[in-house]
Amino acid sequence: MSTTTPAARWLLLARPGRPASAMARTLARVEGTLHVVSVDDEARALARCREAGVELVIVDLDPGPERERWLTQLRREGRPVLDAGAPSGAGPRRLRELGPYDDEILQNMNSALLVIDADGKIAACNPPAELILGEQAERLRGRSLRRWFASDAPGEDCIARSLREGTRFRGAESMITRSDGTRVPVGISCAPIVDADGARVGVVATFQDLSEIKQLQRQVLQTEKMASIGQLAAGVAHEINNPMGFIHANLFQMAEYVADLRRVFSAVDELRKAVVLGDAREMADAAARLDATAEETQVDFLLADLGKAIRESQEGSERIRHIVQDLRDFSHLDTGERVLADINQCLDSTANIVWPMMKHLVVLEKEYHELPSIACYPMQLKQVFMNLLVNAFQAIEEKIGGRPETGLIRLRTETQGGSVVISVSDTGAGISPENLARIFDPFFTTKKVGVGTGLGLSTCYSIVRRNGGAIQVESQPGKGTTFEVQLPVDGGEAAADAD
Amino acid sequence: MQTDGRVSLLVVDDEPRILSALERSLRREGYELITSETVEEALRLLDARPVDAILSDQRMPGTSGLQFLAEAARRRPDAIRMLITGWTEEIPPAQLEQLGVRALITKPWDDGKLKATLRRALKPGGG
Repeated sequence: MSTTTPAARWLLLARPGRPASAMARTLARVEGTLHVVSVDDEARALARCREAGVELVIVDLDPGPERERWLTQLRREGRPVLDAGAPSGAGPRRLRELGPYDDEILQNMNSALLVIDADGKIAACNPPAELILGEQAERLRGRSLRRWFASDAPGEDCIARSLREGTRFRGAESMITRSDGTRVPVGISCAPIVDADGARVGVVATFQDLSEIKQLQRQVLQTEKMASIGQLAAGVAHEINNPMGFIHANLFQMAEYVADLRRVFSAVDELRKAVVLGDAREMADAAARLDATAEETQVDFLLADLGKAIRESQEGSERIRHIVQDLRDFSHLDTGERVLADINQCLDSTANIVWPMMKHLVVLEKEYHELPSIACYPMQLKQVFMNLLVNAFQAIEEKIGGRPETGLIRLRTETQGGSVVISVSDTGAGISPENLARIFDPFFTTKKVGVGTGLGLSTCYSIVRRNGGAIQVESQPGKGTTFEVQLPVDGGEAAADAD
Repeated sequence: MQTDGRVSLLVVDDEPRILSALERSLRREGYELITSETVEEALRLLDARPVDAILSDQRMPGTSGLQFLAEAARRRPDAIRMLITGWTEEIPPAQLEQLGVRALITKPWDDGKLKATLRRALKPGGG
């Protein structure tokens, strides 16, 4: 399973062919990803150690001058370095036997590392952990982690489950609240520490500060969102040009109506003057001229139609206002906090934005059932719905080719158990099984260059998981595709990858 | 040309407000205006009676103006065909030519130009 948090970058300097030391293997288990770098190509290996983002270089070489040379070099450069094969005792040492208390590891890594004992209390920590938690080590030891997590934050639960059930987590996202109230988004990886008898005696957890990654994620989301708005632009222009068309024409006509009405009024005025003068002949003439003007200008029609034209134009301008508002709503970002939202409304307003681009080829069926409001990131979900709708439309477009046919998109919402389920089905071209397996991968696309970014569905996937939900797809080539999004009513937990 | 000397013009657009605005614009032009909000209705109408000219919207639910004009040409090959569109994408000129579309009007339209375009297009042998 993929995770949204990149693992810390640990390099393992090794000589190809030599089996990794036990410590290196254990470290790999704790951290998940070790990049093995061969020392055969010294210049390249050194360059990799110097890359930004490298948090720890583990030197896993046989004792001898080569190892000493690497250790000296890296330490001189101030790189965090760990000697995996230090000849400090008999046989390979395992991390859990060393105790992850080993100072060298703790001090030299850039990820926050915490060792939690069987009672769930902090047993050891390193300087980055002090930084993230905002307390000195001596004030951390012996305390429960609970106070750093809000009651609904999943982080503490991951560690508890690691301890209780032996579950390992990689990149579970959570939020830490420091005693001064500041909040830090973190990615938590943790694994149980098991003693020689197989009993779980504690948990090793690494925390990463995700503030920067979160910021980047927001930028990517926004970019993807703007790209999808670009796809809509032509359809939206059309949707605006229609009301603009009749408002524009109506205004022109109304100006003519007013000119005609002015003629009628001046005829009325003449009649009024004749009445004041009291000349019967003048009055009869003025009345006849008024009749003629009224007939010529079709004044009854004008008066009736003027009102109608104004009403219709008002309605058109209202419609334009709505379109612009929908677009603005859509391009907004969430505040970063979950809010209660009506999913039917999210889906429907998104469908309204997308509708103009597809209405010539698509029949849209909506089957909305009453749903409870759910705690979610509604702007992100709208983006998911839009991606699914645009994909459905493109699949139909692809299937129809230029033929005079239409396809069907069915939107359905319902509550199932503790979840709200939203499905988007189309009668489009469908997806072949080999592509189906890859559609949530970033940058995977079967669309023509310039049509898709390859990020749409992978963005959907991460958004849905961030909302604590799941997304599934079913497809039959030539028949159509159904995407189903499930969102927990209680908001659920943000995505955590347990393995 | 109808027996009363007026040119009959069928206008098709799924947007009733557009139809009513076009009726306003063309009120004094002396056409016999027939309007229809759906292609189905317009085709039924064409089965029932001849018209001198057809002005159709391009983007309509489930179909396009070009598709409709092709259908209409099979029923009433003599009717002058014109297209009105708010869609910003370009309609291939070859397709317009192939269908014998004599005028392409964009929304929003300029009233004076609309009238002039129609007068020109509906002149016998015009275009």
